[in-house]
Amino acid sequence: MLTVLIYGAVTSAVLAMLAVGFTLIFGVARILNLSHGAFYALGAYCAYSFTTLLKLPLIVSAVLAVALVAVFGMAMERVLVRPLRQSSLAVLMITLTVALTVEQVLFVVFGSQSKNVPAFVNFPINVHGVSVDGQRLLALAIAVVLIGALWLFIQRTRLGSAILAVSQDPEAAQYMGIPANRIFTIVMGLSAALAGAAGVIAGPFLSVRPTMDQTAMITAFSVVIVGGLGSIPGSILAACIIGYSQTFVAFYLNPEWTGTVSLVAILLTLVLRPSGLMGRVVNA
Amino acid sequence: MRRIFPLVASAVFAGGVAMSVQASAAGKPILIGLDTPIQHQVGKDTIAATKMAIDEINAKGGVLGRKLAYVVADEGVDPQLGVSAINKLTSDDHVDVLIGGYSSGVQLAEEPHIARSKTIWLGVGAASPNITALVGKHYDKYKYIFRVNPLNSALQASQIVDFATHVVKGKLHRDKVAILGESAVWVRGLVPVLVKGLEANGMKVTYQQLFDESMTDFTPLFARVKDSGAKYLLVILSHANSDVFVKQLYEARLPMPYGGIDVKSMTPNFCSRVSGAAVGETTVNFITRAPITHKTIPFWDKFVKVNGRAPVYTAPGAYNAVYLYAWAVKKAATTNADKVIKQLEKADYVGVGGKIKFNKLHDDIDGPGYQNLLFVQWQKDCTRQVVWPKSVATGKVVLPPWVSN
Repeated sequence: MLTVLIYGAVTSAVLAMLAVGFTLIFGVARILNLSHGAFYALGAYCAYSFTTLLKLPLIVSAVLAVALVAVFGMAMERVLVRPLRQSSLAVLMITLTVALTVEQVLFVVFGSQSKNVPAFVNFPINVHGVSVDGQRLLALAIAVVLIGALWLFIQRTRLGSAILAVSQDPEAAQYMGIPANRIFTIVMGLSAALAGAAGVIAGPFLSVRPTMDQTAMITAFSVVIVGGLGSIPGSILAACIIGYSQTFVAFYLNPEWTGTVSLVAILLTLVLRPSGLMGRVVNA
Repeated sequence: MRRIFPLVASAVFAGGVAMSVQASAAGKPILIGLDTPIQHQVGKDTIAATKMAIDEINAKGGVLGRKLAYVVADEGVDPQLGVSAINKLTSDDHVDVLIGGYSSGVQLAEEPHIARSKTIWLGVGAASPNITALVGKHYDKYKYIFRVNPLNSALQASQIVDFATHVVKGKLHRDKVAILGESAVWVRGLVPVLVKGLEANGMKVTYQQLFDESMTDFTPLFARVKDSGAKYLLVILSHANSDVFVKQLYEARLPMPYGGIDVKSMTPNFCSRVSGAAVGETTVNFITRAPITHKTIPFWDKFVKVNGRAPVYTAPGAYNAVYLYAWAVKKAATTNADKVIKQLEKADYVGVGGKIKFNKLHDDIDGPGYQNLLFVQWQKDCTRQVVWPKSVATGKVVLPPWVSN
């Protein structure tokens, strides 16, 4: 049982890192970013390239990888998304195009074979008699720290207040002198950085392949729907529910069925509570 | 005279045309169509080995005075892509022979199209027995299908049972076995034979599970294997993500040795790619740098020299297939498929991984002197040792570093 508790926490933490960034950019800029999984893949591949090809130290590689993905996300928002933001359909299409392009570029540059991202912790740790891969425990700790830091940043800083203001009413915020466009770019950078960091810390124990963005995108999407689009606490709660459900199914039923957990969760949410666990009901 | 001249001129013209047509037919290369997943190592090595064989044959003057050439179509691991590849090669490129294949599922989808095109297909990568079963059921329609390599999964299963009996039970004294494999056509055919064989030899299968090829977290499976009381883990992986599988198994320090079929672990850089996590894994292979036949070491060394890497199992298959086809065309003195098939059916050809001979289903056979599985273990510093069969062994099987007796 302790094994399920520990592994469930790790799965939930990685899911939360993916979902929080995804819901953040939707909550603030109303952008349904289908290239969010690509940020996750880019984080893992950047870490691989810096450590294995450029032989940089692991910690330097990790920081560089996250920074690079953040810059990529900001550039994408500025160059591709902003000109199309008036049409949500156009935004969907351009972000999907970015996702497919990143996937194909990774295929061409790195091939279809899995890549090995070195682990920060390369030994098992004994937790009350349960031997757990050290990297997984580190992933759990980093996820908690990063999400906590993001929460504090939004709640306690001036820039965080500006983000909250823009998320409530971009036009009113603009009239108050808050540069909404710049806020959108910063939030896209934060969102990309979180997904990139998830790729860097989960890469060593999960698969690093060009198609890794697909599963990440589907899972992040399902967590956000269950939690409520735009709600960060909702996403964290939903990540825990889905993460633990997946782990329970994998350990006690059949590991092949874990993928269906997310889909069942989406179905139940849409039927029973379409706004999600903590989403706001918007009347048209 | 005026009447004769046009006739003579016509005859000379007609003769000239006929001669030029004949000359162009003689000069036209024999075209080999490669249907293979070009983004995978198995596909890259199929192409590299084919090119190597073609260059060697052309340097000696070709076959029946014609050079060999090849054209590639990507079949990926997708049946739809595979069917398109076969149709392109046979209908657009009009190849004389097809060489390739990797995924059994893709192969089975391609077979009706190969049969319809009446083009010989020499398989070098897919292992399902169903691939050649159709030759027995509808010979006239499917006689074009031959498997040069690898051994079909049923034969592989019986050789794994042999390894398990003599090495796992005999030397490591472990008689409780768990089986984990990917849920693929060839594995579903292999596992029942494997289980039956293991139990017939006094071993107990404590747990067996097939999983989806796209699975990325194997930790729950390892927990179940451990809980089952197994003392050895048999793996059957080809398309699945074995890099992650091996890394997670190492991180979990699963307390038992493991081995079986792991196609990605046949790749020479596999162990270093996973930072040494594969040390202790035993995986079957079809070729290694050992004097299996007089052609093995020259092939291996030349492949390494030309391509800068050691070959995976499709390379000897493709190399053998090109030579075998050239041999059969020479014997038949034509590229006519029906006549070449008759020669292939009689072949007892010495290839780079053993002799090649086809049974009634056009499937390559195993046995002494023929192609057999080699059990190769990753050992200290990511070196490889052949640990079974005894006749070609270069070292003894050892336990993974974290497993004690």
